[in-house]
Amino acid sequence: MSSVVFTCLDADTLGGIQQVTHTLAQGLAERGHEVHVIGLHRTGRPFRYVDAPRYHRHLISRRPADGPIARRLADRRLRELLREIPPGYAVLTSPSVVARVSGLLPRGFRPIGQYHGSYDHARGCWHLASIRRHYPPLDQALFLSDDDAVRFSEHALLPNAGALPNPLARWPQEMSRLDAPRVLGVGRLEGVKRFDRLISAFARSQAPPPWELHLIGDGGELERLRAHAEREGVADRVVFRGVVPAERMPGEYLNASILGLTSEHEGLPIVLLDSAAHGVPAVAFDVSGGVRSAAPVLVPPGDVAAFAAELARLVSDEEERRRLGADARARAEAFRLDHVLDGWERVFAHIER
Amino acid sequence: MPDCTVVVITYNDAARLPRAVRSVLGQSLRDLEVIIADDASTDGTPEVARRLVASDPRVRYLRRQVNSGGCGAPRNDGIDAARSPYVMFLDSDDELPRHACKSLLAEIERTGAEFVAGQISRLHESNGRLYPYYPSLFARRRVVEGIRQEPELFLDSFSTNKLYDVRLLRDRVLRFPEDVHYEDHVFAAELYAVTRRFAIVPWTVYHWHRSTANDSISLSIADLENVRQRVIAARLSDDILREHGAADLVPHRQYRFLRQDLRVYLNPLPARDLVWVKEFASIVRPYLEEIPGEVLDRLDPLDRVCSQLILDDRIEDLRVAAGSLTGPRAAPRTAVQRGGRTYWGSTPSPGMDITRLRLAELPFSASRLRHEVIDLSSDGRRVRMTVRTYDPFGALPPEWMAFLQLGRLRVPIEPQPSAEGAYVTRVEFTPPAARCEPRIGFTRLSDGLTTTDRLIVDPRTEPIELRGCTVGVEGYAAYLCVRPDSITRAVLRRVKQKVIKRISTPRTKLLAYKLLVRVLPPRKNLALFESDVGKNYSGSPRAIYEEMRRRRLPIEAVWSVARGRGNFPADAKLVRRGSWRYVYTMARAGIWVDSHGFPLDYPKPRGTRYLQTWHGQGIKSIGFDAPDLRGDFDGPRARWRAAVARWDALVAPSAEFSRLFLPSNGYAGKVYRCGTPRCDALVKAGGRSDGALEVLRRLEVPPGKRVLLYAPTYRDRAKGSGRSVRVDLELLAEELADEWVVLLRTHPVERYRPPERLRHFVRPAGSYPEINDLMLASDALLTDYSSVMCDYALTGKPMVFFIDDWDEYRLSERGVYHDLPSIAPGPCVTTTEELAEVLRRLPAVHESYAERYAAFRRMWCAEERGDAAARIVSDFFEEAR
Repeated sequence: MSSVVFTCLDADTLGGIQQVTHTLAQGLAERGHEVHVIGLHRTGRPFRYVDAPRYHRHLISRRPADGPIARRLADRRLRELLREIPPGYAVLTSPSVVARVSGLLPRGFRPIGQYHGSYDHARGCWHLASIRRHYPPLDQALFLSDDDAVRFSEHALLPNAGALPNPLARWPQEMSRLDAPRVLGVGRLEGVKRFDRLISAFARSQAPPPWELHLIGDGGELERLRAHAEREGVADRVVFRGVVPAERMPGEYLNASILGLTSEHEGLPIVLLDSAAHGVPAVAFDVSGGVRSAAPVLVPPGDVAAFAAELARLVSDEEERRRLGADARARAEAFRLDHVLDGWERVFAHIER
Repeated sequence: MPDCTVVVITYNDAARLPRAVRSVLGQSLRDLEVIIADDASTDGTPEVARRLVASDPRVRYLRRQVNSGGCGAPRNDGIDAARSPYVMFLDSDDELPRHACKSLLAEIERTGAEFVAGQISRLHESNGRLYPYYPSLFARRRVVEGIRQEPELFLDSFSTNKLYDVRLLRDRVLRFPEDVHYEDHVFAAELYAVTRRFAIVPWTVYHWHRSTANDSISLSIADLENVRQRVIAARLSDDILREHGAADLVPHRQYRFLRQDLRVYLNPLPARDLVWVKEFASIVRPYLEEIPGEVLDRLDPLDRVCSQLILDDRIEDLRVAAGSLTGPRAAPRTAVQRGGRTYWGSTPSPGMDITRLRLAELPFSASRLRHEVIDLSSDGRRVRMTVRTYDPFGALPPEWMAFLQLGRLRVPIEPQPSAEGAYVTRVEFTPPAARCEPRIGFTRLSDGLTTTDRLIVDPRTEPIELRGCTVGVEGYAAYLCVRPDSITRAVLRRVKQKVIKRISTPRTKLLAYKLLVRVLPPRKNLALFESDVGKNYSGSPRAIYEEMRRRRLPIEAVWSVARGRGNFPADAKLVRRGSWRYVYTMARAGIWVDSHGFPLDYPKPRGTRYLQTWHGQGIKSIGFDAPDLRGDFDGPRARWRAAVARWDALVAPSAEFSRLFLPSNGYAGKVYRCGTPRCDALVKAGGRSDGALEVLRRLEVPPGKRVLLYAPTYRDRAKGSGRSVRVDLELLAEELADEWVVLLRTHPVERYRPPERLRHFVRPAGSYPEINDLMLASDALLTDYSSVMCDYALTGKPMVFFIDDWDEYRLSERGVYHDLPSIAPGPCVTTTEELAEVLRRLPAVHESYAERYAAFRRMWCAEERGDAAARIVSDFFEEAR
C-alpha cells in the first residue's frame, strides 16, 4: 500500500473541502494506506472532523505565508516534511495548493490535483487560468463530475482530467417521514448561496402555513436576507437557525420535507448528498454536473419562478415527495464512502498503468 | 502485452533519436513498448539504438536492410511488429508530450472509436513556444461518425497525432504507401475513407519540432521535387477516395490542398526567384485545372486570385499577389472597378474578383495604399530609401501631406507622381534606436484625417547595420522594420524592470499609502478626479470638474489617467493611475470624485470627502447581486463593503436607481437626487452639437447616411472576448450599408476590432472619448442591456434592443431587475434579419412605441433638468472654499 498525502491550504477550517478530505483520509487509512493530511496554515477556529484519526496530521505555518521570506521558510519546512514520508500519491486539494506545492514534491510522488468547484465557477474567477497553467503536468486532475471533467479538458486543455464524486461521511439508517411542513436551506449565509432566491421562491410558491423555510448557517448576509424576507412578506415564516453542530444535522434532515438549493455556484454540495441519503427530495438550480449527478428536481439556473412552481408542486403533493425521496436515497448509494474509495483506488491504478 | 506501441521511425538521425525515445519512455503511461524502426541508417544509429535497447526492456529495434527512401516502409514495419492493441507513430526529430499515450488510450477505451486524433503543435526550437496547428479543428472533445460529418478534418492529414486500434490497421490492410514522400496524406485519405467512428481530443498530443535549420523531408519546401511529391500525394489520395466509393469527398480533399498545401508554397513565394515560381506554377497547374470551379470559389478572395494567376501562368503577378497573403496584407498595385465589383490587377475577370474584401470602400483613415521599397542603402549613419506608392483604389484626395513615421519620429516626405499612377518618394533618415515598424502616412488637408500603411520590401534585402539598430525585413511578405541591437540597453532595461518590480509591488504601495495617510493630513483644496478607472476624461466627474472650473473654485484638481490615454484638457494636471504619484495624491487629496471606485483596498484618508457619481443605471444587477460578488469567496464582498463605506455622497439619477442601487450595495449615506451631471449635456443639447459634428468628421460618416450607435454591454463570463458583439454585422451590412453607418461602441472591458471587410459600414468607436457626443451624433441606438439606454432616452431618438441571449443573460450570465421586453422603449429583436427589418421601418416603429418611451423616461429620467452638476457643485464643493 502506498502513501497518500492530502494537502489543504487550511486543513481544519469548517468547510466542504476539509470535510471531504478528512473523510477520505480516514477511509483510505482504514483500507491500509499510510495517510497524511497537511495544512499549510492554521485557522482561527479549528474544527475536528474525525474523533480518532488513523492518519497523520501536520501543520506547516501558524499563519498564511505572505511575503517572500515567510513563503521560503514555509516551503523549506514543507519540503523537509515530505522527504520523510515514503513517496506515494500527493493529493493537492485546490488550485492555490497545486500552484504552490506541485513544484516542491520530492521525486517519486505522483501529484493529483483536485478542484472542488464547478467549471462555471472556475471560469468566472482566476481558477480557470490557474488550472490551465498548473494542472496539465500533474499525473491526474480530478473534478466532481464527468461533465465538469470534459469541460475542463476542453477549456483548460487538460489531458489528465478525470472525475470522482465527494463521499458521504456517514450513511443514515433512518429516513425522513416527509410530513413536517418544512423546507430546508443549508449553507453559509453568503452571496454565492443566493438564499435571497430561495426566500423569493418560497414566498412565490405560496406554500400555506404552517409551512416554514428554515435556513441553517451563519454569515455576512444575515441582515440583508432578513430584510429581503420582510420585503417578500414571509418574514414570519423564514426561520434563521444559525449554525447547527454537525451531530445534530441528521435530526434536521429527518425533520424536513424538501431541500432547496438556489446557489449561484455549486460543485457537488454535500448538503445535497446528505439530504438525499435521508430521503429528502431536493429542488436545485442546474448549475453543474455535480448537482445533476445527485439528481434533484432541476430548474434552469436563476429561474426563480420555475423554482417556486416546483416547490409548490412538492409542498402540495406528499406522495410525490415520497417517490422523489426514495429515488434520492437510491441515488445517494453511489456516494457512499466505500464506493468513492473504490473510485480512488481505480484512480491510483490508472496512474500506475 | 503492453497497452500501447509507439513506432519511432528514423533515418540517419542518431543525434536526436534518444530525445524522441526518451519522450516515450518518460510517458505517464508506463506499460508500453517502443519500436525503433530504422530505415537502414548509415550513421551511428544502430549503436545509439542498441544502447537504448539495453537501457530499457521496453525498447525494441528493427532495422531495414536497404533504405526505402521514405517514411512509409518503416512505419509499416512497426505496424507488423506491434505487440499491443494500440499504436502511435513518432518521428525521430519530434517528441510526445508526457500524457500523450495515456490520454489517447483512455479516450479510445472510453469511446470505442477506431482511432483518436489530438492537437498537433509545432514546437519552435528558437523560442521554445508551441504553435497549435488549426486549433479550431480540435477544440471540441468529440466523437465523429465518419469524415462526411466534418469534411474540414481533411486539414488534419497527419499520421503522427493519432492513436490507432491495431486491428483496424491490420483488418482493413491500412498501410503507408512506400514510394511517395507525403505518405501520411495518402494514408490519412484512406483512413478517413474506411473509418466510421473516430474521436478528437483538444489537448496537444504531439510536439512537432521545428529547429532553426530544418532539413527534414517535409520541410524542404524550396525543393521543387517536394512540390511534385505533394501533387502526386494529392492525386493518389483523390484516387483512393474514389476507389473506396467516396468520390463525393474528393472536392473536400481538394479544398484542403488549396487551403493548406498550396499555402505552404505561396506564403514564402515573395522570396523566390521568377524561375522557381514559374516552375512551381507549372507543376501545380495541371492539378488545379482538374479542380472544379466551385471548390476554387470557396477560397478567400486572395487565395482565389493566386490560384487564378497559377492557372493563367502570370508569374510576376503571382509573386506580388502571394505577398498580400500574410503580414501587412498589402494592397495590390492596381485594381479595377466595374459594375460595382472590384478586381485584382488591371483586367476584370471572374477569378480576380476581390469585392468581398471591400478594400475599395474603406473610409479614408482606414484606406489601403501600397508602399514598396525599391531601393534601400546606407552611408553607415543615415538610411537612403526610395519608395513607390500605389493607390489602387483611388483613396488619395487632391490635396494631401505625407510623412514617414518611425516610432515617435515623423519625417516629412514629398512623394512625386510618376508613371502608371504611382508616386515615388526619395527620403533620407536616421532611424531611432528603438523598435518600430516604419509607416508612410498621408494626411488629407481638407479635414486633417490620416491614413498609414507599412512598407513592404523584397524579402531578400540584406539588413542594414547602423549604430544602435538594424534596419531589416520581417515576415514572408517582408515589411520594413527597425530593431535596436544594443544588448547592453536591453540588459539594463531588464535589470531596471526587475528592480522596480521588486520594489513597486501593489503591496508596498498600499503599505506606503497607509503610512502616508497616518502622518500627512489631506489638503482640503486638493481634488482627485477619476472617470472610468482613468480610461477617459468623461462622465459625471468631467461634468463636475468643468462646472468647478467655470466657477473658478479655488480647488486644485488632479486627474487620474490610465496608461496610454489622452484627450484630457491641456490645463488639467494628470497622474498615472497606479503610479507612486497617484498613491501620494490619493493620500493628500481632501476630495475624491470618481465614477467607478478608487482602488478598493485603499482606505480613505481621515477627513477626505468622497463623491461617488456612479456611471449608469438600468436593468442589470449590480453590487452584491452582480456575478463578480457572487463567487464562492467572501473576500471580494467584504472588500466591496469596505469600499462602499468610503463614500460620503452618491449621485442617484432617479427614484428607481435609489430603490435598486442602495440596498444592493448596502449604501445608506447621503444621496443627491437632482439628476446626473453626465446627462446635463444631453438635456441641454439642441440638435447636433459641436461634439456631434466632430464625431461625424472623425469617424468619417458620409453625408446623408443615417447613424446607428451600437452599444452592447459586456458579458461577465466573456470579458475581452469580443463576444458581446452579437449582431451579425456582415449580414446587416449587406442589408443596410447603403443607408446606414454603424458606430460600434463596445464596453471598455471588451476587446473587439471589426475586420477590414466591415470597415465600410462599421466605425469602431470603443475608445472614442465622449459617449455623449456619440449619442448626439446618432440617429438611433442599438443596444442589449447596457445602461446607455437610460441616458439615450433623454434624446427622444429611437432605440432598438438586440436581446438574442436574454434568457441566459437574465437567469445565469448576469441577472436583471426588470423584464426588459415589457418596459423597453423600442422593439426587442433576436435575429439580425428582424433587426434589419425594424431599421427599415424605423420611424413608424418608433412612433408606435411613443407611450412606452414616455413611461421609460418617467421611470429613469424624470429628474434630469440639466443642472445636476451645478447643484452638486454648489453643495459638495462650495464648502471647500
